[in-house]
Amino acid sequence: MHLWETATRPVPSPAEPACNDSTPRYLTARIVAHRQIAAATFRIRLDCPEIATQALPGQFAMLRIPDRLDPLLARPLAVYDSFSAPEGDAVQGPPSQRRYVDFVYVVHGKFTTALKEIPAGENLIVWGPLGNGFVAIPAVEHLVLVAGGIGQTALLALGKEQCGRASYGLPPRSRPTSRVTLCWGARTAAAFGDVADFSQAGIDVHLATLDGSAGQQGTVIDLLNTLEPDWNSPESRHVACCGPEGMMEAVAAWTAGRRIGCHVSLEAPMACGIGICFTCVARVREAASGASPDEPPAWDYRRTCVEGPIFSAASIEW
Amino acid sequence: MPPADRFAAARPASEGSPVEPPPVDLAVMIGSLRLPNPILVASGTFGYAREMAGYVDLARLGGIVPKTITPLPRKGNVPWRTVETSAGLLNSIGLDNDGIDAFLQAQLPFLLGCGAPVIVSIAGANQREFVQLADRLEGVPGIAGLELNISCPNVSHGVDLGTDPELCRSVVAGVRGVTRLPVIAKLTPNVTDIASIARGARDGGADALTLINTCQGMAVDWRRRRPMLGNGIGGLSGPAIKPIALRCVYQVRKAVDLPIIGVGGIMTIDDCMEFFVTGATAVQIGTANFAEPIASMRLLEALPKALAEIGATCMADLIGTLRPPAGAAVPAPPPPPGSPPHAA
Ligand SMILES: Cc1cc2nc3c(=O)[nH]c(=O)nc-3n(C[C@H](O)[C@H](O)[C@H](O)COP(=O)(O)OP(=O)(O)OC[C@H]3O[C@@H](n4cnc5c(N)ncnc54)[C@H](O)[C@@H]3O)c2cc1C
Ligand SMILES: Cc1cc2nc3c(=O)[nH]c(=O)nc-3n(C[C@H](O)[C@H](O)[C@H](O)COP(=O)(O)O)c2cc1C
Ligand code: FES
Repeated sequence: MHLWETATRPVPSPAEPACNDSTPRYLTARIVAHRQIAAATFRIRLDCPEIATQALPGQFAMLRIPDRLDPLLARPLAVYDSFSAPEGDAVQGPPSQRRYVDFVYVVHGKFTTALKEIPAGENLIVWGPLGNGFVAIPAVEHLVLVAGGIGQTALLALGKEQCGRASYGLPPRSRPTSRVTLCWGARTAAAFGDVADFSQAGIDVHLATLDGSAGQQGTVIDLLNTLEPDWNSPESRHVACCGPEGMMEAVAAWTAGRRIGCHVSLEAPMACGIGICFTCVARVREAASGASPDEPPAWDYRRTCVEGPIFSAASIEW
Repeated sequence: MPPADRFAAARPASEGSPVEPPPVDLAVMIGSLRLPNPILVASGTFGYAREMAGYVDLARLGGIVPKTITPLPRKGNVPWRTVETSAGLLNSIGLDNDGIDAFLQAQLPFLLGCGAPVIVSIAGANQREFVQLADRLEGVPGIAGLELNISCPNVSHGVDLGTDPELCRSVVAGVRGVTRLPVIAKLTPNVTDIASIARGARDGGADALTLINTCQGMAVDWRRRRPMLGNGIGGLSGPAIKPIALRCVYQVRKAVDLPIIGVGGIMTIDDCMEFFVTGATAVQIGTANFAEPIASMRLLEALPKALAEIGATCMADLIGTLRPPAGAAVPAPPPPPGSPPHAA
């Protein structure tokens, strides 16, 4: 097997002004930190000002290991958070000063198995920020984040922004400060990593595990049912959800039954992340259709990498 | 020496030599169509180009082949639509597209403004639909050529226009009859004798051939006991199929005298050069665009140096210059008529 050439674009020095548009970029980024945070779960920090300054909550990037034909393609990972220092989580600073971007991933297949062996100091190929991000979340009194498995990665930045703890984007978006709750479900206690990122941001964290080893025993739906009686009226709430498809479908049904607004972050398999391959499609209902109850709403396949990954749960034909 | 230069001496000159190469002429002719350079992007792997504007200087491409269009909108196949395999990608997208009307209205104006030749890829379910599409496009100014996708493995309904020489001939001839644009037939490798299909395309009046579309393949999840692709089977692309694509170019080059656009598994400049030497006049970059959105630009930049490495000053110095295998017996001159049959 021969190695393929990788085009290397030098990572700009901090003196270089960050570009002020949101054009996705193809970059070589150095790993500055890489550590395990839970069972088969790793957190990696890249020196990547282009993404760190611009990424909005809910956006993602494509990552690839240079000089390898196997895995051949890049993989999408949600932008977990961005920082202005190569170490620690305390120093975040305004978006314009951020230079480092964190991803959290669970070891799953070819790419993640290979990635976990790559130490700090090595380079990755990365392009982003990609996707729409959480742009359409209404200003509500109470934002409920619902995560399943590794789905918390798409939700941290949104929660911090909504709590008024951090801002994202250029120019920084402002968000009304509101109450934020995280309901996070996993198989077992060992799967939860860096839960403190949420609690320290002022997010009220509730866990559920299928085996009862942490938090409430059961699913996130069981957890939502337990917590709901203490919450204000459904109209004052909005749900943002990310996790396995079956779990998101269940949460979508739970919110629809209560007339609670809900956005989901879909995790369709992707080959390019930029809209050129038509791999990542989801069935999305046409806005104009389905006006009459007798007529089932028409749907079309939409590319989740460019039109998503965030969709209103009500628009998805599961 | 800084660590990055450690391998400089071991690298072929085509990859990162500091010597400024002499000026070379990269232009090629595909029939009557002049392309500024031989690096094109393959249908279905570059969207409608607008998605790539942030990564690629579109005006520098030798040509753009946008995603195949059909007469009517098609939703495409059920997910999963792609699965990565060893150094390859299986897909069953199923020609998801909004149909020719939407293409003409929403996509073509942007494409024609890119500054690169645009070769429109069309697919019909039968000869009549191909002719109908070509007829619609005939009057549209600015299009550089038509690529007939008679080879999509994901939409066949029993009749595969690209797997029968006579059907292939009739589709090409039908299109030839209604258009003045260069007609390029894109062939499938999923046949026993690709040369016979190429002859069919030539006899129908094709100006050039694109070789190859994807190779039929399959991936299975044994634990769930299900095929991985929503469509069951799909088409394999990427580095895994490069040897098959080269073989097709080699065989077709010997069989017909038409320009060939080589495609299949191209990731590196060496891959491009292999196709040119074997007989491709130009190449298309496909799956590499997914793995590395800037791939086409990187290859274009590496091309002059690669030409210079073997002393070529234009593409003609390179195309189809493959020699016989080392050690191959020089073919004996044909025996004079009437001589006794050679005893084997
Ligand atoms: C927008 C977006 C954001 C994401 N963010 C994160 C994140 O922050 N952290 C994280 O850990 N993961 C995230 N993912 C998921 C991650 O990209 C995939 O799990 C990826 O396939 C892992 O690559 P791999 O090579 O390790 O596994 P692969 O080799 O790709 O997959 C191994 C096996 O898993 C199965 N598989 C692959 N993809 C899927 C799928 N989408 N659904 C169900 N089964 C599948 C297949 O059977 C495959 O053989 C995200 C996905 C998307 C679309
Ligand atoms: C996801 C995907 C979609 C494709 N769609 C089309 C298409 O619409 N029309 C077409 O003629 N070829 C299509 N192809 C085939 C490519 O144009 C090309 O012939 C093939 O992938 C081999 O080249 P590669 O190995 O460089 O990708 C598609 C390939 C892939 C991977
Ligand atoms: S992943 Fe290629 S179009 Fe979305």
